[in-house]
Amino acid sequence: MIGLIKKDLLLIKSNIKLLGTILVFYILLTFENEMNISFLPAFLSVWLMFSTFSYDEYNKWDSYAITLPNGRKNTVRAKYLTTIILILITTFISILVTFLILMIQNKAIPYNELITSVLISTLTITCIESFIYPFIFKFGIEKTRIILFGVLFVIGFIGGILIYQVNLNVPSLINFLAKYGRILFVILTIVILFLSYKISEKIYLKKEF
Amino acid sequence: MKLALEIKNLSKKYQDFELKNISFNLPQGMIMGLIGENGAGKTTTIKAILNLLTKYSGEIKIFGKLNKNEDETVKEDIGVVLDDMFFPEILNVKDINYIMKDIYKNWDENLYNKYLNDFKLPLNKQIKTFSKGMKKKLEIAVSLSHHPKLLILDEPTAGLDPIARSEVIDIFRDFIQNEECSILISSHITTDLEHIADYITFINNGEVVLSKTSDELLNNYGIVKCRKEEFNQIEEKDYVKMRKTKYEYELLVENKKVFKKKYPKILVEQVSLEDIMVLMIKGEVK
Amino acid sequence: MDIIISNKSGIPIYEQIKEQFKSKIITNELKEGELLPSIRSLAKDLRCSVITTKNAYEELEKEGFVVTIPSKGIYVSKINKNIAREEQLNKIEDLLEQAINLAKINNIDKEEIINILNILYEEDL
Repeated sequence: MIGLIKKDLLLIKSNIKLLGTILVFYILLTFENEMNISFLPAFLSVWLMFSTFSYDEYNKWDSYAITLPNGRKNTVRAKYLTTIILILITTFISILVTFLILMIQNKAIPYNELITSVLISTLTITCIESFIYPFIFKFGIEKTRIILFGVLFVIGFIGGILIYQVNLNVPSLINFLAKYGRILFVILTIVILFLSYKISEKIYLKKEF
Repeated sequence: MKLALEIKNLSKKYQDFELKNISFNLPQGMIMGLIGENGAGKTTTIKAILNLLTKYSGEIKIFGKLNKNEDETVKEDIGVVLDDMFFPEILNVKDINYIMKDIYKNWDENLYNKYLNDFKLPLNKQIKTFSKGMKKKLEIAVSLSHHPKLLILDEPTAGLDPIARSEVIDIFRDFIQNEECSILISSHITTDLEHIADYITFINNGEVVLSKTSDELLNNYGIVKCRKEEFNQIEEKDYVKMRKTKYEYELLVENKKVFKKKYPKILVEQVSLEDIMVLMIKGEVK
Repeated sequence: MDIIISNKSGIPIYEQIKEQFKSKIITNELKEGELLPSIRSLAKDLRCSVITTKNAYEELEKEGFVVTIPSKGIYVSKINKNIAREEQLNKIEDLLEQAINLAKINNIDKEEIINILNILYEEDL
């Protein structure tokens, strides 16, 4: 399984130039803006993971991997572990960058706010990936992109109506989470991630190539 | 004799294609050639052996052990070359070594490097810059570098020029110098197999048409080319398949010695695997 | 050691291998007790299947030209000494017959030939 994780990390590494550029861009943006954009590295991690699925699919690596001794279960496990590793790295980067910038600008560090915003972006991304992965393991990345487009559209549409109808106050929700829900949110995300992993595993064990 | 591979009544149904009761045995230390047209069922059979399929009926044993999805240890002893399935092509040859070290217990870095050297493959270039032949050579190098006992090769010579093909075939010959090592090799280039395969299994339309030693096939079968007058003298039971072209009749006979005795005046020629394959597919029964 | 195989001759390859080994043993190119290449390495060198060389060796063993010693290898067997000698004698007879025929045509009598034979035989030693 370590071999499989290594493979994904090598695929990610091949995008290193692009990554560096984005990171520089990100630092500059953070400098310019007072706005917190810590979600960017998290989104980057999704994009990077998707690219590994794309590379795999293009050369039918999945079929080949099954002929190796690692087995189907480990194939799924490796993808989830790589995802977690990547999320941790990007979270770390976004915290680091924010810290550095605040220190350079000689501002006080608002720990509480910082942790909340990082948590929200990281956990949201984890939930999104948890939602998408079973589709990828079932249909492959290319079909999933199309499905995803449809699903996001519907969710956006319904969500928009709901927020409008219920008059949901998003910032107050964040406030609520910041006060009481951090641990709850973390636990919930882990449960979702674990469920997603189990579903993907089940799908993958039955898949035919 | 110990069997490296045992396939019994393998069946698999797709919407537009069916694999019907495929059975054959590959004894240890031997090479079996799987021949047949594209789409005849060679790749599907190989997929079933390698657990790429999850739903099929029948029984597959590798090294005497039932091949179940949960048991992956047997894969440590198998090397594969598959058609169009490999590492993501933005990786390079060194990356593959770095990954494979953690996949196979017996991965042999030195052996891998030796093959890369023999094949003159560049270390730092992405696989996507390779020619088709180079890619195949890399796949073969990877399939051999963990000292497998069974090689399963789907069209391993496709895309190679004649010289590279003969190089690759020689590597397979080296591989079976060890009596424990066996090869299942599918190819539609039958001449490659004629000089290396001990057994030939011919699959057509999802069914095994014949499975014999290649000596039996090449020494016994014969091809008769004759004119109409001669053809009329030949009894139906004395040939397997017949093909009529504009100028002549081509007959496939199962035992050329018997045929020669019965029809001493009719010329029987040495048959090739290709002749057998073409006549079996294109020929009429009677 | 040369072994030449033709794929087009129509003669089974194992038979071609067998015949060529036989002639090498008879002509003493392969000597008694000599270790022969293994089934697998012979197949590799001749570019034919393992079963083919196995068949060839099996036939040679049946006819008494070679003997397999388990886990050691295949050797040229003992009996062939007589066969080889017989074969050589036949050859000598043929050559002498030619000489005698030539003598008869030219009216040279038996004693004279035996004389020549004696001289040549001693000289050679």
